[in-house]
Amino acid sequence: MMKLLSYLKTGSAALLVTALAVPALAAEQGVSTDIGTLDQESAEKAFPAKPPYSPYAGRNFPTRPFFGDTHLHTSFSMDAGAFGARLGPKDAYRFAKGEEVIASSGQHAKLSRPLDFLVVTDHSDGMGFFPQLMAADPVLMATPQGRKWYDQINSGQGATAAVDIITSFGKGQLPKGFPTPGTPAYRSAWRETIKAAEEANDPGRFTAFIGYEWTSNAGGNNLHRNVIWRDGGAKASLIEPYTTQPPLGSPNPRDLWKWMAMCEGKTGAEILALAHNGNLSNGRMFPIIESFNGRRIDREYAENRMRWEPLYEATQIKGDGETHPFLSPNDEFANFERWDKGNLDLTEVKKPEMLEFEYVRSGLKNGLKMEAELGVNPYKFGLVGSTDAHTGLAAVEEDNFFGKTSSSEPSAERATHPFVKTDKAVIMGWEQTASGYAAVWATENTREAIFDAMKRRETYATTGPRMTVRFFGGWDFEAADASNRLPAKIGYTKGVPMGGDLTTAPTGKSPTFLVAALKDPIGANLDRIQVIKGWLGKDGQTQERIYDVAVSGDRKIDADGRSKASVGNTVDVANATWTNTIGAGEMITVWKDPDFDPTLRAFYYVRVIEIPTPRWTAYDAKYFGVTMPKETPMTTTERAYTSPIWYTP
Amino acid sequence: MRLTLLREPLFQFLVLGGVLFSLSHLVDRNKAEAPDRILVSSARIDNLADGFARTWRRPPSKEELQGLIDDYIRDEVFYREGRAAGLDRDDVIIRRRVRQKMEFLAEDASSAEPGDDQLAAYLEANPARFRTDDRLTFRQVFLSANRRERTINDDSKQVADALTQLGATGDTTSLGDPFLLGEDFKAVSQTDVVGIFGDDFAKYLAAVELGRWQGPISSSFGQHFVYISERIPGGLPPLAAVREAVLREWSNARRLEAEQKLYRSLRDRYDIVVETPPSKSAQAGP
Repeated sequence: MMKLLSYLKTGSAALLVTALAVPALAAEQGVSTDIGTLDQESAEKAFPAKPPYSPYAGRNFPTRPFFGDTHLHTSFSMDAGAFGARLGPKDAYRFAKGEEVIASSGQHAKLSRPLDFLVVTDHSDGMGFFPQLMAADPVLMATPQGRKWYDQINSGQGATAAVDIITSFGKGQLPKGFPTPGTPAYRSAWRETIKAAEEANDPGRFTAFIGYEWTSNAGGNNLHRNVIWRDGGAKASLIEPYTTQPPLGSPNPRDLWKWMAMCEGKTGAEILALAHNGNLSNGRMFPIIESFNGRRIDREYAENRMRWEPLYEATQIKGDGETHPFLSPNDEFANFERWDKGNLDLTEVKKPEMLEFEYVRSGLKNGLKMEAELGVNPYKFGLVGSTDAHTGLAAVEEDNFFGKTSSSEPSAERATHPFVKTDKAVIMGWEQTASGYAAVWATENTREAIFDAMKRRETYATTGPRMTVRFFGGWDFEAADASNRLPAKIGYTKGVPMGGDLTTAPTGKSPTFLVAALKDPIGANLDRIQVIKGWLGKDGQTQERIYDVAVSGDRKIDADGRSKASVGNTVDVANATWTNTIGAGEMITVWKDPDFDPTLRAFYYVRVIEIPTPRWTAYDAKYFGVTMPKETPMTTTERAYTSPIWYTP
Repeated sequence: MRLTLLREPLFQFLVLGGVLFSLSHLVDRNKAEAPDRILVSSARIDNLADGFARTWRRPPSKEELQGLIDDYIRDEVFYREGRAAGLDRDDVIIRRRVRQKMEFLAEDASSAEPGDDQLAAYLEANPARFRTDDRLTFRQVFLSANRRERTINDDSKQVADALTQLGATGDTTSLGDPFLLGEDFKAVSQTDVVGIFGDDFAKYLAAVELGRWQGPISSSFGQHFVYISERIPGGLPPLAAVREAVLREWSNARRLEAEQKLYRSLRDRYDIVVETPPSKSAQAGP
């Protein structure tokens, strides 16, 4: 029995793994929201030739980042609920607002500070499945599988049934009658989801988005997307979520995009989608060859992907997705929270040639290549982080980590239990990453403002800490701008923010960037700020390069743009403490690309690295008095990744 | 609320209760059926037909209805035999579903609509939950710990002197360092001050008087001087302004209370003995 149970847990973990989809945007807008233009206008409105008497009047650019989670599951998700998650969407929103709740494991849980927004994204497939199965729905009962599960559950073999359900889901072999949009079970689950968001939404103070996850998992390869509404329940309740199981649904993202277009057209809503965990897609997340038809992606694919998927979830509990040491051998920070053993359910092992199509940086690079070929960049996405927790708890602080599933909530054993285990590979509990959150530069804390900022990609990912990161690109930033009293004002006036575009380089000029970061007020100091550049060379090959643009302390940046000296380490692992005696609380600088070629496509994004701090495993070891396996990392370097700014000749 | 519930599959699940004990518990107790007799009542048959109709949008044919009845009997036979053999007992899924059902029952019992007087009383009894933050409008002069590593304390004294001379209306833009989130903050809530500057800073601000430069205040970024020009007091809003939130909290409190009450009353029926496991099991296993 114990063996069976632990297998069950792994099975559930595998299914759980979910995606984050960020919503696709508004119908009336085309693919190419011109961020640059948008911000130019707002900047001009904010700062007319003669400023108004009141310094506050007209100040309509975003003045602070809002932190949230675009990807959280509750007991409404088939997998989460069956395996012990008890908290539903209402509890999830309460917790995000800073209230104390009782976690599924019976422990009291509370965030250090409230989040500003949350999207509950339960799986669209199987919403309401368990109640329906248990009610002996006649359609389900007419299928051999439904009958079998029902009988198994009724004869005390519920665990066997659950494993079978999850496995069948992964293989796309679910019975007719599995709750699908249009059935009462489904409708009621969706209505409850909407209702919870409507109740929790508190414009100006807390934003509760309506959303769901489209969990495309063909062959166990993660192509999940979360879908988010800009609108409230009135529009969201006009339609039911898109699923992945044929014939109603499809695992092919092209079909999701069609559904999104239909949804906007028929209901007048605005939605967007964001994907996640390319690291578990085995080479399919950012394809050049589409896995569904074996053909090279075409312009239609590129246009739709760019239109509907403005963001990507770059970091979360199932590993960090920025880049991989195999892809970025010269990046000493690349080996970070890697999950590279196989696909989502570990039914297929990873091969090195898959990696290029899985990670953010290589995806952005291939986007430039495809743009040269197709005229449209399919992978022009901004970055956020999110949790993908299946506990109803968006809790990913290192000292307050409530794990991926209810079975991995804090306990003496959670680090040493296998998280996913198959005959191909094992992922241990300690490999879970306490990450991340989405930071959004929105003008106010409302559904509309945050959604619009997501659509223009004015966002960044953090692995948990709430650092403030600014990134502006333009042609005229100069060193003195780093000392300007109003960094945001100068940034919006002279450039475009993260997520924006630079085009038509003035003769003889190179792009300049105003880059700044402020530590989390209760977090660790910063080690350095880096600009990561990717470009498409004349030979058609993509390249990447890292520049250290600001480092703490007395360290120097060498002529090659790098500072190889380490910031040091103050972590006391045994006591799970550190001190802010190294690093810097804030950094700001102006950086000019020293290697600019105006004829080449390029992107630039910022990576902010914190000083080393105790990893969640160190807090666990201290609190529970346990010894972690030797291979367990006990320190971490938290970080933030901004959306890129693209240069297009 | 109740009508909605009747249409819920979950409710149907509760009624059919194939897996769960509460219904058969009642049935057993009422001796409506002998242990060796299975009665398919006409109400049950209607119920089965209804379930079919909801899915198929038509009533079942005679054969289909017979199939449903046969199926129900089959369920019942297996269910009773399975229970008699104790197959339900150690099953995690069944245990959870049963527990969930019981909690849903409690929730339903607590779902009556409250009147305004009840909500007003709740608001009064739980003011902390609904009180709005004070909002502050202030200007700061910031000294960066990073930029002034060694000189920050001396610089801080100089800035303090300069501010005293400048007073309220003087131009402070030549003093101190840029701060990434700006120097003017308008109508910022206490919660946002905590989010931006940290807890200690916010507490300090909450206590100082308006209309003069205050500081230095330390934060994890460095030192700050602050001039608060306006404090918009928060407070307890009238019920009408927060009715929705009060209703939400009230319902949630009632739900937890009802669940707890149900649990207590049921728990009292048991004599609970918890054994102390041998000490080796306290250690973490692999």
